[in-house]
Amino acid sequence: MGGRPATREERLIAVGLWALAFIAFLLVERAVGFVRDEGIYFTAAESYAGWFRRLFTQPMTALKDAAIVGAWDVNHEHPALMKELFGLSHLLFHQTLGWLRPATAFRLPALAMAALVPALTFLLGSAVFGRAAGLFAALSFLLVPRHLFNAELACFDMPVAAMWLLVVYTFWRAMESRRWGLVCGVAFGLAICTKHNALFLPFVLVPFALWRAWQESKAVPAARDGAWRFVGLFAAVTVLYLLLFVALGPAGFQRKFILLSPHTLLFVGLAVGTFWVLRELYRVHEPTARALLPVATMAVLGPILFYLHWPYLWHHPVERVAWYLTFHARHDHYAWFYLGDLMRSPPFPLGYVVMKTALTVPTSLFVPMVLGWLTVVGRALLSLPPRTREWVRRPSITELLVGVNAVASIAIISHPRVPHFGGVKHWLPSMPFLGILAGMAVVSGCAALVEQLRARRPTLPFAAVAVPVFALLMAPALLGLVRVWPYGTAFYSELAGGVPGAASLGMQRQFWSSHVTGVLPWINEHAKPHARVYLHEVTGYSFQHYQDNGMLRRDLQAAWSPSDADIVAYQYHQEFREHELNVWQAFGTRTPATGLYLDETPQIVVYQRP
Amino acid sequence: MFVLVALLCLLFYARLPGRLPSAADYGAVSERLKAEQRPGDVVLLFPWWTERARLYLPPEVPVVGYFGSDRDNLTAHPRIWVLGQPQLPGTGEEGFRKAFLPGRTTVGQPFQAGNLTLTLYTNGRYRPHRFVASEAYARARVYVESPDGTRRPCPFDGRAHRCQGPSHLYVAPEWHELYYEPRRCLWMHPPGGPDRLVVELDGVPSGMGLRLEGGITFENTFNRSHLSNIHMGVDDAKSGERLLDVVVPQGVPGVQKAERSLPPGEPRTVKIWSQATNPELRHLCLDVVALGAPGEGA
Repeated sequence: MGGRPATREERLIAVGLWALAFIAFLLVERAVGFVRDEGIYFTAAESYAGWFRRLFTQPMTALKDAAIVGAWDVNHEHPALMKELFGLSHLLFHQTLGWLRPATAFRLPALAMAALVPALTFLLGSAVFGRAAGLFAALSFLLVPRHLFNAELACFDMPVAAMWLLVVYTFWRAMESRRWGLVCGVAFGLAICTKHNALFLPFVLVPFALWRAWQESKAVPAARDGAWRFVGLFAAVTVLYLLLFVALGPAGFQRKFILLSPHTLLFVGLAVGTFWVLRELYRVHEPTARALLPVATMAVLGPILFYLHWPYLWHHPVERVAWYLTFHARHDHYAWFYLGDLMRSPPFPLGYVVMKTALTVPTSLFVPMVLGWLTVVGRALLSLPPRTREWVRRPSITELLVGVNAVASIAIISHPRVPHFGGVKHWLPSMPFLGILAGMAVVSGCAALVEQLRARRPTLPFAAVAVPVFALLMAPALLGLVRVWPYGTAFYSELAGGVPGAASLGMQRQFWSSHVTGVLPWINEHAKPHARVYLHEVTGYSFQHYQDNGMLRRDLQAAWSPSDADIVAYQYHQEFREHELNVWQAFGTRTPATGLYLDETPQIVVYQRP
Repeated sequence: MFVLVALLCLLFYARLPGRLPSAADYGAVSERLKAEQRPGDVVLLFPWWTERARLYLPPEVPVVGYFGSDRDNLTAHPRIWVLGQPQLPGTGEEGFRKAFLPGRTTVGQPFQAGNLTLTLYTNGRYRPHRFVASEAYARARVYVESPDGTRRPCPFDGRAHRCQGPSHLYVAPEWHELYYEPRRCLWMHPPGGPDRLVVELDGVPSGMGLRLEGGITFENTFNRSHLSNIHMGVDDAKSGERLLDVVVPQGVPGVQKAERSLPPGEPRTVKIWSQATNPELRHLCLDVVALGAPGEGA
């Protein structure tokens, strides 16, 4: 595995892809409803931005824990990086400049981050499998309806997919450059500041770094010794932390983790020790040192950046980080409809994530993804036994890096005890890598076809085959996207039989309340002045945001149950059927007034009190 | 191969719009139903989730479509109109026919409106409902009864029989979900402890089947293993004989039922009751029905 710098042309294409994606996201953002999480993120973002203002006007007060908690306590179950950006963007582009509506201003940083995905996908794909494969991966990523939907939201799922990709890209580049080794550490720090998915990155990347170091130091005993020292240092620190944990117990470990404590000393020791070991290693054998540098920078810079970016941690870092990690380790399970089974608690089916991916990625893109991944895995397996080794080209470590990252998030979420609500958004970090493998598979197919055709037309350019094939493979995805937009979570692939097929299969088609935008125009037109409107599953925050963004009439009042409402917009969920019956009960009718139906499937059902 | 897959996908999208019904199709079906419906008819949706139909169909005809409705006996309805969309992708028509057809006979020719197919069936699983507790609730005497026979009445306020104590202690017919099935049934949250919530009703016909059906509503049956089971039953008020008794186990969703034949005789007064040791979240909804013989009066 050796990283390589992007060529000037590749950099230009990457920038072009970023700009194309960003503009596309910006143009269609307005149609996407506010998902439940956004309501609280908008509020948190405003609160954080308010604290930053206070930091300038009353710095001494702002830095006190009471002021920090006052501003940062809201939504402290997620790190703050994206919400800080949302808040500052809102402050600048809406409140100060007035250029954007509030929601767009909040979402702008998420759009910019999401636009990184096609750009980075191209850079990595182009470097590993060639430009055409990179382009296919980048463009096809945007056409997966659920990807585009998630890219529009002021949430963390697409940003963390971008950050995951960035970390892997910088990690790979670090193999050829010391500077990129430092960048990798910074990228990892920012990734864990984005969402907790990134905490799994070291488990994916460190084995590659160690393997690379092992390979590089094979012929240099001094380098091998240095690599062992590096590993030994990490192992020793880990053991000492474990001893502390066992000796003090979980509560004691947490309580005694203060600025001047063995815990901090161990961390400082690790930082200084790795610096010293790596400095020696660079002197002895630079390639081995380069392989290990990202591990060191991730281990040292990650926690430091995580602490610094989140004022909420400044006065009580250990206690509050512990709470944050515990929250996610013990996350509630929400009901989720899957193949006719309303899953409520673990254990969940092992094949859920793979099946859900198969049914939600357009089939013309999913099939190349699977074949691309199987090709790499097949080559890797066949290259092991001596009998079959000569049949195949052994995959490079870079190809394996892509292959492993293509399934890492999928494997993590597949664990039967991990919460399964929310669908594909939780394993989005796998998708760019699967896209790259799809690009590789498609380009291989095109190359084989071109080779055959060149027997008759030797001058036939590769693009003459690749462009129509790419277009053909992406066309169904585009059609599916147009058909369901902006209700991205309702999309199901041709394999599922589309949205209606998925309804018959018994699949969840929404969970975040954003489809309600499909009936807001009807409500605005038909609701009596000052009518009480119950938007089922829509949070109070979102109700307010629909009004603030001109999507819902200002005079309408939020109601919180059918019995208090004149109009109800019920979100059709299998687990919420009782809620619709409550409307029948309260309104004395079973006949809806209108609704949002996608290819016949009920999404939102609206009732009006007779 | 990729090209072939893509072409198949394009074919899927090319065909999809032609497989969906239009508002005009629904309008035509609605007109047909208005012209030919009879009291007691019901519309069954196939596939079960094609609820858009409810926007268009005459409101006086009940429309049934829920996850599992293919198997619903629809015993209260002598005739069933199946509104089908077999052209939709992945409908599983064979499974529907297997669940629905036994005991049902087609009447006349199906009516076709675009992609909608309206087919009338006689319901061989029909059983005339001679008495329905949830419809007779207004004339009931409702009280909380202690094991020693002490009664605390729950007076009728015009809509519900309200008992002293928590606000959920009342009896009234309501719409509730029992494992996805919408049911109009009597809300009878037991009071907790050994006491029973009792609904006493006169005029229950003899010489036919008496059925008790009920269950825990919505999601209240799940993830609460610490809660006690619910008992519901029907007693003969005069003799004290236990006519029906059903345990509604915590953690088991759906309708629990029991039925027995009542010997011929005078109409009875019955006591329908619910009881649960634990008073927490015992969201019970039930009904008691006196049923004629299968097919009678169809």
